[in-house]
Amino acid sequence: MIRRFLPRSLLGQMLLSVALALLVAQSISLVLRYQAEERRIENGLVNELAFQLVADPRIEFATRDDQRADRQERRRLRIERALESPQLQGESRNRERERALHQVLESQGVAVSELVVISREVSRDRYIMDGLRRGGRFLRNRWDPGGELVVAGMKRAGEDQWLIARAPRPERPRSTMVGIIMQTLILYLVMVGGLYLLLRRITRPLAALTRRVERFGGVADGAPPMEPSGPEDTRRLITAHNAMEARIAGLLDEKDVMLGAIGHDLKTPLAALRVRIESVDDEAERAKMAATIEDITHSLDDILSLARVGRPSDPLERTELSALIASVVDEYEDMGEDVALGETERVALPVRATWLRRAIRNLVGNALRYGSEARISLTRENDQAVIRIADAGPGIPEDQIAHMTEPFTRGETSRSRETGGAGLGLTLARAIAEQHGGTLVLSNVNGEDGAIVGLLAEIRLPL
Amino acid sequence: MSDSSVRVLLVDDEASLREPLADYLSRQGFAVRQASDAAKARSALLEEVPDLILLDIMMPGEDGISLCRHLVESRKLPVIFLTAKGEAMDRIVGLEIGADDYVVKPFEPRELVARIRSVLRRAGKNGAAQTDTEAHYEFEGWHLDPLKRRLTDPEGTVVPISSAEFRLLVALLDHPQQVMDRDRLLDMVQGREAHLFDRAVDNQISRLRRKVEVDSRDPKLIQTVWGGGYMLAAEVKRFVPVTD
Repeated sequence: MIRRFLPRSLLGQMLLSVALALLVAQSISLVLRYQAEERRIENGLVNELAFQLVADPRIEFATRDDQRADRQERRRLRIERALESPQLQGESRNRERERALHQVLESQGVAVSELVVISREVSRDRYIMDGLRRGGRFLRNRWDPGGELVVAGMKRAGEDQWLIARAPRPERPRSTMVGIIMQTLILYLVMVGGLYLLLRRITRPLAALTRRVERFGGVADGAPPMEPSGPEDTRRLITAHNAMEARIAGLLDEKDVMLGAIGHDLKTPLAALRVRIESVDDEAERAKMAATIEDITHSLDDILSLARVGRPSDPLERTELSALIASVVDEYEDMGEDVALGETERVALPVRATWLRRAIRNLVGNALRYGSEARISLTRENDQAVIRIADAGPGIPEDQIAHMTEPFTRGETSRSRETGGAGLGLTLARAIAEQHGGTLVLSNVNGEDGAIVGLLAEIRLPL
Repeated sequence: MSDSSVRVLLVDDEASLREPLADYLSRQGFAVRQASDAAKARSALLEEVPDLILLDIMMPGEDGISLCRHLVESRKLPVIFLTAKGEAMDRIVGLEIGADDYVVKPFEPRELVARIRSVLRRAGKNGAAQTDTEAHYEFEGWHLDPLKRRLTDPEGTVVPISSAEFRLLVALLDHPQQVMDRDRLLDMVQGREAHLFDRAVDNQISRLRRKVEVDSRDPKLIQTVWGGGYMLAAEVKRFVPVTD
């Protein structure tokens, strides 16, 4: 499920993993720094309370619970003396802070008999609220009625008065959070951006190389070899690829030259033979010899074509398919064969007419050889041009039909020399269909009673 | 001219083909001389100028294409190529450098004889072969390149036509807006596919119509003329393309 959303490219995966690693590292650092900050603030608070409790008894505050209401108190409101513990009903003591405060006081040599630390809202603290009501800018700056404060009450050993210190509860260290998030964002921009630029130097030549390899068909299409670019490793890959491309092109050129030579060397003696049989007097015998030579020539052409089909030398040309098919049908019609042109539509496609004509000829030839008649049609279906060649022959057993387009395969029922052909006709037709980005599909046609009444060959070409 | 007065120079490096072919052509009544390579062909030409040359393309030393170029440029001699390759490229190369026709090995000897006669007939009519075979035809937005035998419709789509259809179309294009009766068409078109025309010209006309008419049941371009004939109802322009 998640896999679907993960980037697949090198660039995407690298960027994602770096971003994740950075996120984890920054999160840990954030937690650590947050904790340290909190401890620092807590220590500050405890120290402030301790300072008030230890230092204050030396400064006189004329504040008494009973007199406070009617006296104009202008001095700094700092510490309260009371007979009661500052803990109000429903308030719970903060043991942790008590322990910390106790430690500090003890280290200052104060003998503590009782210690209470609680936190409460400023608005519920009568002492501070009274002080605020009396005014004083200092007080107002220090105390926010909407905030909280920490109250520490201490009774020294041997005294019955409580000393009560107050400090505003410090806010959570939000500013550090903002800082670290900003820092993370900047790091992200710098690192991810830099990495992106760097990786692009690698992936761009790689993408170009991929396109090149996909396009490469061994044809010297005049395109110059790829310019090596990117980091050294990528450059070396491109250089190696160029060398391989040149080697393959060389081999294929050699193959073409060799095929040309084979064609020439075999066809010349065949031509000589064809001329010589003209001196055979027996008309029937001469016709048989001529037919044999024609078979050999046909097989030779199929072999040579099959060897060249992946590397055609002629360009694609926008061609009227119905006219192409009609011209093949007319050829057979002129030879007196039983061919019928069925439904045709005008469909113009970029094709290699020489090749496609050959494929159609092979299929029509097959239909006539094994099925004694051929019905040809051309229709436009969805985004395909479909050429159908149907015969009325025995079809092909279902278990063999898939193998029929493999080289040198012929239907078992017809494996006799008389039928002729090297069995390359269908292979070549399929290869030509594929050369045009299409397919060749063979299927049996079943009659109403389920028996096979013929074979249907379909060439499907993308529009 | 009768065949006995026709002098043919046969140029092929393969003696196994050249000799029986020379014998065969002699039996058919041609006066045949042989040459086993381009150099010997050139010296044979100095002694006597033939009416037609049969030329193998693939030969050691100077090949047939180079020799053909020389022959067409300097002597305007009709040339038929003998080639082992049958691909379209070869035909175009062969015809563009001025050969009149080609046969693919192994060919039927009778077919070769038919083509020799056809080329000679055309050469005789035109004075020399290759007078204006290079000029393209243009009619109603259609385009015909006679060298490549390439017909394209107004949208530039190639419409494949057979040799018989090509000859028929050229005959009509050469006489636009003139009534051509069946016999005259048959006579002009009769070439290497002479046997095809044992079937009616009408058959070829209807095939051609299927390809070039918008509606072949209501033909506008190739019209039937009452009284027996056909007429191309279009203006035809001819031009020699600067580059193709």
